[in-house]
Amino acid sequence: MVRVVGGVTLAALAAGLVMGFGVAPREATQGNVQRIMYLHVPSVWVAYLAFAVVLAASIAYLARRAEAADRLAHASAEVGVLFTGLTIATGSIWGKPTWGTWWTWDARLTSVSILFVMYLGYLLLRGMIEDRERGARYAAVLGIVAAFNIPLVHFSVYWWRTLHQPPSLMKPGPGTMPGIIVAALLVNFVAFSLLYVYFVAKRVGLLRREAEAAL
Amino acid sequence: MAGTLPGLLWLGFILSGLLGLGRTFVVEHENDCWEALLLAPGDKSAIYVGKLAGNLLLMLAVEAILVVLFGLFFNLDLAGVLPGLAVVIVLGTVAFAAVGTLFAAMTAQVRARELLFPVLLLPVQAPVLLATVKATEAVLLGEPLGSVAHWLKLLAAADVVYVAVGVLTFDFVLEG
Amino acid sequence: MADHWGFVLAAYGLAAVVLLAYWRWLVARDRELQGAARSRVAPVSGHPRSEHASRHPVQ
Repeated sequence: MVRVVGGVTLAALAAGLVMGFGVAPREATQGNVQRIMYLHVPSVWVAYLAFAVVLAASIAYLARRAEAADRLAHASAEVGVLFTGLTIATGSIWGKPTWGTWWTWDARLTSVSILFVMYLGYLLLRGMIEDRERGARYAAVLGIVAAFNIPLVHFSVYWWRTLHQPPSLMKPGPGTMPGIIVAALLVNFVAFSLLYVYFVAKRVGLLRREAEAAL
Repeated sequence: MAGTLPGLLWLGFILSGLLGLGRTFVVEHENDCWEALLLAPGDKSAIYVGKLAGNLLLMLAVEAILVVLFGLFFNLDLAGVLPGLAVVIVLGTVAFAAVGTLFAAMTAQVRARELLFPVLLLPVQAPVLLATVKATEAVLLGEPLGSVAHWLKLLAAADVVYVAVGVLTFDFVLEG
Repeated sequence: MADHWGFVLAAYGLAAVVLLAYWRWLVARDRELQGAARSRVAPVSGHPRSEHASRHPVQ
């Protein structure tokens, strides 16, 4: 089953590349370097998806104490941190030719960096508590706090960056973009989401077998 | 120089908060009372609220002293801005203490507690810190609180969310 | 206006490397756990103790 998902994911990723490089047009102001967006934006969307799953799984764990929920939270957080890191890296690489600097404290990069460190802390907490059951409980609480913090991070960073400064070049969301670019973004988002599902499925399987091996 | 003052002030608050909050449950551990806490009957959230109140009072006391010292060292006329400043400080400190008390309980038994506690708390507090520094900046410039209403609303929302989550999840933290 | 294909390549290349590395780690861990599970099953398949007991009942 997981292999099937893996196969479909591969196909979707290929389709995403075709859309991003073949179908999507060369952008007027930035040139072809804007194609990094088809990597950067779906990455951050998947990261949010991952952390939403962490929230749901955390609540489910506290409510039902199902080991599966704990494993899902753990795996999703790990993959989420992976995609968050990727978002930051690709954002930085995109920024260098576009803004002339590897780093800038613009709204998206800053929020995503805070998210990255928050969930890295989540993984750290899990790693540092030896008792498995207590680790699961504490991680669930942290997962809930972190998720509720996300909107606060968003607003605070956005106001910090835009109330007295012009908004960044990379406007969030596909609101004002032409249809073909939105389509390419969506195809890549689906591809990355499938990759997320594949990674999480494999990771959960590993966690389950590690737990069984420890018995 | 004046532009960095709000940041410096809150940096001072954070550092003292990290030291104090991190140790919230250490005294129970050192005196073997941790198990007693876990076995306490009734709603464990009462313990959270109690610890939070204690931490709040302590932090506010330290902050008051720091504000006075600040005014002294940087030659600030704080008389007029004190009420506004107080509002911002209270709102920010409640948020900091609410999450800090919760995280202190979670890191109490971890070996590298002094390291893990700030690593967990600071990223989560980033939005609160942005809000308090911006609001403090406006207040110190003599602007009315209304001009930073959005920041104050964010702080108030953060306070409500953090305390609510703390109260609701503390039972799970203090379980066997 | 320059297209900066180098940066595009760097970004996609980095993504490919990172995601591939994670996938390879998942697969490697998978094989490791499979191997460990198999080696645990093997010696337990016989029951030397019970066989011994049935041949030498309590005297």
